[in-house]
Amino acid sequence: MAVNHLCQWQYLRFQLSHPSAPACRYLSPSRSKSSTSSTAKVNCSAAPSSSPMDSHNEGRKKFMEFPYASGPVRQLMVDLVSTVENTLDSQLLPCTLPPDVQYYENQNGTAQASLQIRSGLKSSLIDFILGSWVHSELPTGAALNITSLSAYLNSSTDAPNLLIELIQSSPSSLVLILDLSPRKDLVLHPDYLQTFYESTRLDEYRQMLEKVPEVRPYFSSSLYLRCVISPSAIMVRVDTETETGAGESTRLDYIITNHVHPVAKQVIGIWLNQCAYLEKRDGLIKNKTIEIDLGSSFPRLFGPQVASRVLGEIQKVFTA
Amino acid sequence: MAMSSPLWVAPTFLSRPSSNISRSITYKRCRSSASNFFSQSDMEQPLMKGQKLMEFPHLTAAHKDLMVSLISALETRLDSHLLASSVVPPDVEFYQNDQGTSQGSLHIRRGLPSSHIDFVLASWLHLKVPTGSAMNITNLQAYLKSSTDVPHFQFELVQCSPTYFILFLDITPRKDLVLYPNYLKTFYEEAQLETLRQRLEQVPETKPYLSSSLYFRGVVSPTGILVSIKCEEVGGTDRCEEIIREHVSPIAHDVMVIWLEKYFSGATVGVTERAELEKRDLLVKTRAIEMDLSSSLPLQFGQEVANRVLSVIKGVLGV
Repeated sequence: MAVNHLCQWQYLRFQLSHPSAPACRYLSPSRSKSSTSSTAKVNCSAAPSSSPMDSHNEGRKKFMEFPYASGPVRQLMVDLVSTVENTLDSQLLPCTLPPDVQYYENQNGTAQASLQIRSGLKSSLIDFILGSWVHSELPTGAALNITSLSAYLNSSTDAPNLLIELIQSSPSSLVLILDLSPRKDLVLHPDYLQTFYESTRLDEYRQMLEKVPEVRPYFSSSLYLRCVISPSAIMVRVDTETETGAGESTRLDYIITNHVHPVAKQVIGIWLNQCAYLEKRDGLIKNKTIEIDLGSSFPRLFGPQVASRVLGEIQKVFTA
Repeated sequence: MAMSSPLWVAPTFLSRPSSNISRSITYKRCRSSASNFFSQSDMEQPLMKGQKLMEFPHLTAAHKDLMVSLISALETRLDSHLLASSVVPPDVEFYQNDQGTSQGSLHIRRGLPSSHIDFVLASWLHLKVPTGSAMNITNLQAYLKSSTDVPHFQFELVQCSPTYFILFLDITPRKDLVLYPNYLKTFYEEAQLETLRQRLEQVPETKPYLSSSLYFRGVVSPTGILVSIKCEEVGGTDRCEEIIREHVSPIAHDVMVIWLEKYFSGATVGVTERAELEKRDLLVKTRAIEMDLSSSLPLQFGQEVANRVLSVIKGVLGV
């Protein structure tokens, strides 16, 4: 069941960047529901009184709250998203999705979702980065939470894409997908396999998680997804004993904090180094030049306004 | 592609030199021992009648029955598409090391020029391992020409110990399934392969097995069965027999039936596609030989026997 949601989500996510998003729409603000979020909901019928920057901030804030995730999952996601964004920040544009696509609910308030898509600059290797969470109350009383972060590279590189997805339908079990997904047929290109998978020793991270007794392989009900992922993909279920005493730190919490989080951090690190590395190096050198040469002297000589304007224009040229 | 060697699937201890087998093995020609078993006419045998092969001398009853029934079924259905006799010379049809502690048997029937079958290969290997116990590897595969894009049929059952087996059962794709979702649909989604995989998954003693070769993981289909079967409890040997008889055998037959269906309804492909299929197949075959056989055969059987066996296999594979 969680699996079906995963498959649908994979295919839906690309439709969501359209202003005319699917059926899920807003509730009016008068609807009450239990939510840990204290920010105002954006109403789809409201006129866009805020600037694009405001709606970006609003949507982003909502996204980074991960209001329905457990503590360890939230910490994991915030850490991973921050790491990716901080490393790639100069190469990414802000999210320009309409507010009602950055956050939306279903008719009866039993499902909420948040979506952030940031495109890469044309000069970068990044096509776009997508982050999202979905929360859905289930008829059983439990809830489904899907949290994901993926990064897609553009045609100026053939390096793998990044995929992280956590699907949780109970407090004691979790499905985790963590992968650098290949952009080439690995059977036809063993050198690609060597470069991105064998020499990076990615499989060792998969093996680390495999050692945790509650972790076992997960077979997606989507055969297509099974093909998309790499041979060293982490695609696992974590099933722990149901624990009584809500609010205390559970075994699953422990596993996420002490096993999943470090492994995910390492895998993201490999992806950032392999894929963002070249571009980042160039970017670093260019930035440094502007800052050192001009940053300190300009405002003194021309005043801050002129300085920032000029620097800004130079920046544009460098990153065009 | 798993050949008559376990490295695709089994623990890689075979790649470590065995202390029992010295490098300077003086090998006695197998031809002379083979001629004790075969008369001249017997040397040309369909797989079913290849004596040494079908004897499966070292296997448990259930394992042997499975191999015999699978090979018989496949040969019967494909008989009219295959050349009558095995292309393997007697000293490769059966071979062994100096002490006779490791043995192997290989049978290969080529497809008729008019058929889409490249070859059908059946083999067993009995290998003495450093710990003193023995390993048995049995293989059956049907490899197709580039005139069709139907997947290849692969079956390998490795007995690592009386209570530990590894099974590989798959119809391996000829195309990248992400680039060709129609291929995925035709051969995998619309077949009952996933149901069969899940059926075996239900058996508690089975567990997914991940090959140490990342390349091989990419060769296996999304519905491929690659599992270890471990029966560590008391009576484990009997339980393994039961699992092979009650679960592995029927599922293997069912997969074969699905494959045969696909094979018989498979279309002939155009020229451009042929070239692509050939390229991809060649890479997989070459890789299989490199990884599977080139180091393990010499270690187990000495360079002379290994060369002889390898040259037959390479000749048939066209690598």
